Amino acid sequence: MSPTPGISLSGVCKTYRGRGADVVALQDMNLDCPPGSFTALIGPSGCGKSTAMRIALGLEDHDAGNVRIAGQAPATATASGITGVAFQDAALLPWRTVARNIALPLEVLGRDPARYSHEIAKLIDLVGLEGYESALPGQLSGGMRQRVSIARALITSPEVLFMDEPFGALDQIRRRQMNVELQRIWLETKSTALLVTHGIDEAVFLADYVVVMHANPGRVVEVIEVPFARPRNDELYASPEFHALTDRIARVLHGQ
Amino acid sequence: MASDRGFWRSPALRNTLILLVAWEIAGQLKLVAGGALPPVSAILFRFWADRADYPNHVAATVWASVAGFVIGNIIAVGAGVLFVLFPRLQRLARGVNIAVFALPPIAVAPILVLTLQGMAPRVVMAALGVYFVTMTATVVGLSQYDTRSADVVRAYGGGNWLVMKLVRLRGAVPDILGGLRIAAPNAVLGAILAEFGGGGRWGLGTYLLGSLGRGEPARLWGIGLVATLIAGLSYAVFALVSARILGSTRSVTLNTALPPSDADTDAPPALRLALSAGAIALPFVLWWAFIRVTGVPEMIAKTPWGVIDYLFLADTSALARAKLMGALTQTLPITALGMVAGLGFAFLLAISARMIPGFIRAFMPIALVTQTMPLVALTPLLVLMLGRGLSVTLWITISVTFFPAFVLLVQGIQRVPQSVLDLPRAYGASAWKELRMVSIPAALPYLFAATRLTVPRALLGVMIAEWLATGSGLGNLLNQSRGYLDYGMIWTVASASVCLSVAFYYAVLAVERRTLTRLGMQVVE
Repeated sequence: MSPTPGISLSGVCKTYRGRGADVVALQDMNLDCPPGSFTALIGPSGCGKSTAMRIALGLEDHDAGNVRIAGQAPATATASGITGVAFQDAALLPWRTVARNIALPLEVLGRDPARYSHEIAKLIDLVGLEGYESALPGQLSGGMRQRVSIARALITSPEVLFMDEPFGALDQIRRRQMNVELQRIWLETKSTALLVTHGIDEAVFLADYVVVMHANPGRVVEVIEVPFARPRNDELYASPEFHALTDRIARVLHGQ
Repeated sequence: MASDRGFWRSPALRNTLILLVAWEIAGQLKLVAGGALPPVSAILFRFWADRADYPNHVAATVWASVAGFVIGNIIAVGAGVLFVLFPRLQRLARGVNIAVFALPPIAVAPILVLTLQGMAPRVVMAALGVYFVTMTATVVGLSQYDTRSADVVRAYGGGNWLVMKLVRLRGAVPDILGGLRIAAPNAVLGAILAEFGGGGRWGLGTYLLGSLGRGEPARLWGIGLVATLIAGLSYAVFALVSARILGSTRSVTLNTALPPSDADTDAPPALRLALSAGAIALPFVLWWAFIRVTGVPEMIAKTPWGVIDYLFLADTSALARAKLMGALTQTLPITALGMVAGLGFAFLLAISARMIPGFIRAFMPIALVTQTMPLVALTPLLVLMLGRGLSVTLWITISVTFFPAFVLLVQGIQRVPQSVLDLPRAYGASAWKELRMVSIPAALPYLFAATRLTVPRALLGVMIAEWLATGSGLGNLLNQSRGYLDYGMIWTVASASVCLSVAFYYAVLAVERRTLTRLGMQVVE
């Protein structure tokens, strides 16, 4: 692994203090994503994969351990604009047009959105939403909204891209299309990507490394390398190697 | 609101027409209280005859209402934003907020007339009428933001202020507009009440008071309807604006996560104690400061200490206490009775609204008119029709509690997602069962909120009726004391009625918190 990883979590612990019982969300979690790599974080519900991502983004505090994004503390990294993020829900502001939603991170970072109009137009093309620049989120389908949120995640040309089940709300067919799209976009941007997902085939299709987590307490049990050449396409889903790998990950997930 | 649009549909128009025809016939035949309800045509003829009087009166009332509305709302929105950004400030201001909310305007009007000059009492009353509604709407709107959008802002290093600016402020606009919509008729009511309370040549309140003794029902109705029209128009303007803007504000998908509570739970006990003490002390400090700033002589303007002195220490204190207690025993039971009836009726109607939507569409126009009808304008008309007995007090109390409670409850039930409603039906539940399992529990927090929020209105309704009609209770005591120049009693009645409102508000809140916590629900602001 590279000495200055894109994303690095070492010995991270997080406990939620609830009524009565404390829940250990993460126990001694270690994760290294090399620069330019695509890592998928997979595990059952409640294994802390989303929590790990939120901690890496500085959205939540951790009790112990060290978090570095491109060598910086999360708060510094996010405020300098080197990260991009797409959540499970598109989380678009309903009163903003597609173009202005994509520009939101720029405003947060204190940059002038007018100077990025060319980039915004390019991203709208990239995610296939030409002609919808001034549509409101309420006028778009679920898949289109999700593509807006991907475009929003890319507007800062991030070195590190976080995605928390960005296609979780989409159907299988649309999801596979979006995975192909995402790979194409990611190959163009050369960023370090971390994808939190439920789907084994999605993880294998997209990632260089699949990190498998278990719950109670949340921890990493195995890191599996995915050797397939890029760009990967739909035919991969039918190949025996693909199935062998997904079966292996399924066994690790089930603790066998 | 979907129900507001119903107003313009033909059934509503048809019902209004039927109502007008029935009114005309009843008036012509003197069916109601021996001619107390004049026919529509007579009211219009009278209005035409008085047409020269109206412009000046209307202009004065509108001017004071608009000025108070603007000033009050600027303060209210500013305060709401500050309260959300600095929760400790909100705790400190809680006493003032509740006092402003709970003060029955009719009790404060004489005080403002004593201490301020010219149009100022009217503007202040109008501003007081809008402050609490808009402030609360602002706080609620800002508190119920979409956490997912906030996460996006925070994920790029955005702090509280950026979340406020980019997500929460715009998201609160529908709530603030909803607040303005309710606040607008309040401003008109406040201005008219202040005109009522004294001074000035122009204004609909002055006109109404001057016409009260003449026994001309048609003119009283004319003034009452004009006042209602002004208040109703102000309501309609904001209803239209918010209907326009609402569609683009609602989140497209449902967020199940609640925003983190802004409640300041980690403050050290000493600070919390200090904040609570400050919250109680602040209204009295402001009261004292207000009198110092206006520089009104101590003879007329009583400080908090002056009221205590009047009520407990002065030579006449025993007599004053007896008068106050006598008035209270007359006022309180009727207030409680009217409230229970009004709230019960509203609750029943609101939960059945889902089952018979057509009924609500037909009923809403009447609900809207009555909600915006300035209470002071309504009272003389009710007195004309119902006489000066207890029933008029009761009817006024029921009507002032019913409509706000009804609107609140209907809106609350409308927030229940369709899927939750569909679930019992999917298992073949009857309409009644669905009501019992979903609508009633969902309406419960709003019933509590309505109870809390309508207390001051109920008290106001009773006091206005007492002042104008029945000649008993707190309202009458206030009016008499004005006549006798008994300044101590005016201040005592005002502070007693505010304290009562506040006490009842907190009593309901305590029950509400316990019940809703047990049911795992949230308290509605």
